[in-house]
Amino acid sequence: MNVIKTTAALAAGLALWTLALPAHAQTEAQKALAGTTIHFLAPSMPQFAALVKFLPEFEQKYGIKVVVDEVPFENYRQKSLVEMQQGTGTYDFFAVDVMWLAEYAAAGFLEPLMPYVKNTDLTDADYDIDDFLPRVISGTGVFNDTLFTIPIGAGPVGTTFRTDVAEKAGFKLPERFSPEFTTQYMFDAAKKVNNPESNMIGFANIPGRWFWGVTYLPYLYAFQTPETKGDEYVDKDWKISINNERTVASIDYFTSFKQFMPSDSANWGIGEATAVYQAGNAFGTWNYQDFIKGFFEDPETQAKVAGKNVHLHTPVGPNGVIDPWFGAWSLGLSKDSKNKEATWTFIQWLTSKDIQARATQYGAGPSRHSTYKSETLAKYQPWWPGVYEFMLKETNPDERIRVPEWAEISDIMGEEGNRVWIGEIDSKTAAANMEKRMTEAMRKGGYYIPGRDDLPKQQWRDLTYYDRLPSTWN
Amino acid sequence: MSISEHTTAAHALTFGQRGFLSRFGPSNRTMFPWVLMAPTLIILFAIGIYPFLYSLYIAGHNVILSKPYIPQYFVGLYQYQAVVQDPEFWHALRKTLLFTVQAVFIEFWLGLGLALLVQRQLQGVAFMRIFILIPMILPPLVAALVWRYMFYPGAGLMTYYVGAVTRALGLGEIPFLSDPVIAFQTLVFVDVWEWTPFMFLMLSAGLASIPRQPYEAAEIDGAGSWRVFWTITMPLLRPAILIAVIIRTMDAFRTYELIVIMTRGGPGNATTTLNVFLTKTGLEFFDASKAAALSLIMMMIIIVMSFVFIRVFRSKTEVAE
Repeated sequence: MNVIKTTAALAAGLALWTLALPAHAQTEAQKALAGTTIHFLAPSMPQFAALVKFLPEFEQKYGIKVVVDEVPFENYRQKSLVEMQQGTGTYDFFAVDVMWLAEYAAAGFLEPLMPYVKNTDLTDADYDIDDFLPRVISGTGVFNDTLFTIPIGAGPVGTTFRTDVAEKAGFKLPERFSPEFTTQYMFDAAKKVNNPESNMIGFANIPGRWFWGVTYLPYLYAFQTPETKGDEYVDKDWKISINNERTVASIDYFTSFKQFMPSDSANWGIGEATAVYQAGNAFGTWNYQDFIKGFFEDPETQAKVAGKNVHLHTPVGPNGVIDPWFGAWSLGLSKDSKNKEATWTFIQWLTSKDIQARATQYGAGPSRHSTYKSETLAKYQPWWPGVYEFMLKETNPDERIRVPEWAEISDIMGEEGNRVWIGEIDSKTAAANMEKRMTEAMRKGGYYIPGRDDLPKQQWRDLTYYDRLPSTWN
Repeated sequence: MSISEHTTAAHALTFGQRGFLSRFGPSNRTMFPWVLMAPTLIILFAIGIYPFLYSLYIAGHNVILSKPYIPQYFVGLYQYQAVVQDPEFWHALRKTLLFTVQAVFIEFWLGLGLALLVQRQLQGVAFMRIFILIPMILPPLVAALVWRYMFYPGAGLMTYYVGAVTRALGLGEIPFLSDPVIAFQTLVFVDVWEWTPFMFLMLSAGLASIPRQPYEAAEIDGAGSWRVFWTITMPLLRPAILIAVIIRTMDAFRTYELIVIMTRGGPGNATTTLNVFLTKTGLEFFDASKAAALSLIMMMIIIVMSFVFIRVFRSKTEVAE
C-alpha cells in the first residue's frame, strides 16, 4: 500500500513539476542573452499586430527586450532597404515580403539561418524545421539554395463575397476552388447585384496604380492557357513575354469592373475597396488570406459584414487555369545585427509550434503543418484549413517572378494598367508599353549581356525544387 | 579700480590684441579672415559643396544601392544620356513646367490682388491679414493630408458637398483625384491655396516700400487708377515681384509632399512631376546614379530659369528707370 501511495505521490509531483515548466526550457546560451535589446522593423499589417501581442510573454521568459518600429506598408520597402544598405545594424531583423527576398538576399543584407536552426544551444529542441510546409518555407525564405528567412504566414489571394446579398438576388455562391467559379461567373454575379442607387456596387476592385502587382496578377494568370503557364512575364531565355493577347484579355477583364464602380475609383487601393466592403456597400472585393480575420470577420469592427461572407479563390480563367498565388511574410536576420543570437532566439520562439498556433486566434496565418491542423486555427479562422492542400501541392512561389527587378516590373504594370483604367490608352498599347519598359529594366539588370551564362534558374518550371524537406537547405 | 589701473588694463588689452594679431605677421595677415570664416566654410563645405561633388561622382558611375554586387565603374555621361533618353523624364518635365507655370501665375495675381486690397486699410483688414496667412503656416505635409481627406472618394468634405451640387445639376460626381486632368488641376488648386499667402506677404512688403510722392503726382495729373497701377505700382514693385516669383518658381518646381500624399503621381502618370520621378528612381528602384544625374539636371533647369527671370526683370527695370 505504501509503495502505491509513494508511487502515486511521486507521479503527482512529477506531473505538477512538468506542468510548472515553461513550454521550452531555456539553454545556458539563451539565459546568457538576458538584458539584450533587439530592434525589429515591420510594416503596419494585421498579421504583425497579432504577433506583437506575444512580446511581453517573450520578454518575461527570456529577459530580451524587443522594440518594434512599424512603418506604413507603402513606405516599408524603401525604409527597410535604406536601413539595410547603410549597414548600421540599427535593426536586428526585418519583415521580408516574399517578393523582396531576392533583392535583399542577393545584396547580402541577410544572414543565412540554417546554422542557427541547427544550433541546439540557441534553438529549442522541439522547433522542428520540417514542420513547415515545404513550399512555404522554401518559397518564402530560400534564395540560391540557402535559407534566409522563416515564414510567419503564407497564403493565397482570393475574393470575398456577401452570401446574404447573393441569396437576396436569388443565387448561391460556389465553394472555394469550385470549377464553377469562373471569370465569367464572377462578372455575371457582380453585374446581377450591382445597384449603385441602393449603395451596392457589384465588385470593389482595386485599380490604384500601386496595387496592380498584387490585385491584377491573379487575372493575368487566369487568362493563360495550360501551355503558356510559366511564360506570363519571361520566356525560357528571360526575354520579356508579356505583350500578347492573353495579357490584353486579362487587362480588359480587370478593367471591365470599372462599370460597377464610382467615377472616382481610379486611385482605389486596398484601403478604399475594403472600407467600401466593410460599410456594406459592395457585393465582393479582393482579399489576401492573412487579412481575412482582420479585414472582414471581426464582429467588433466589421459588424455589417462579419459572418456574412464567403471567401473564395480568384476565379478560374477561360482556359481552365487558376492562379497559383503565393504571398508570404517572413522574418530575416540582418547581416549587420550586433545581437544575432538574441534575435534568433526571438525568431525561433515566435515561429515555434506553440506560438504559431496561439497567434492564429489574433489573425496570424499558418505556415506549419501543425498550425494548419490546430484546433485554434479551426476555431478562430475556419477559412484556412481549406487551403492546406493548395499550399501543399498547387501553389507556386514564383507566381510573380522573384527577381531583384520585380519592384520595377510591378511599378510598370501598375502605371500602364492604371492608364487603361482611366481611359488614357487601350489594353494593347499597355501590353506593348509593359514589354518595352520591362525589357529595359531586365537589360539594366544584366540579363541580356552577350555570353552571360550564370543567369538564375527558372525554378517555377519545375516546382519539385520547392518540395524539398526544409532541413535539407543550406 | 584707479584711473592708472584702468589705463594699464586697456594698454594690456591693446598690447594683447596686437600681440595676437602680430602672430599672423605681415605675410600671414591675409590668413586672419580665413581663420574667422573657417567654421562657416567647413559647415558650408560639409552640407553644400561635398554633397554636390559627391552627386557629380555618383552620376558618373553606375551605383544601384540595392545591388551592391554589381561592379561599380566610371560611365562618363551615360547617366545623363539615360535620363534624357527616358520618355518618363520628358513627361515629368512637361508636367512640372505646367504645374509651376499655372500655380505661380495664379498665386501671383491672387497674392497681388489681396495685397492691394489689404493696403487700402479697410475695416477688418488686420483680421483678414492673419486669416490669409493661415494656409502658409501649416506644414506642407499636414496641408496635403488635410486636402487628401477633403477629396477622399465618397467621404471627403469636398467630395460630399461639391458632389451634392454637381449631382443636383445633373453632372454626377467629380472625380477630383481619379481623372487625369481634374487630378492635376486639383493639385494646382491646393498649391494655390497654400502658397498664395506667401505671394501676398512678399508683395505687401513691396507695396509698403513704394514712396507716396509718385502717387500724389499722378493724382494731381488726373491719372486713373488703372494707369497708376500699370505705370507706377507695377514698375516700382518689380524688385519684390522678382524675388517672390523666383522663390515660388523654385519651390513649385520642386513640389513633392503635396503630390506624393494626394496622388502619388497617379492616376496613371498624370501627376508624375520631376521630383516624383526622382524619388521613384532613387528611393524605389535605388538607381542612385540615374537619380543623381536627374537631380543635377533639375538643378541646371532651376538655375537657367532663375537666370532668365533676373535678366528679363532687370532689363524691364532698366527701361522703366
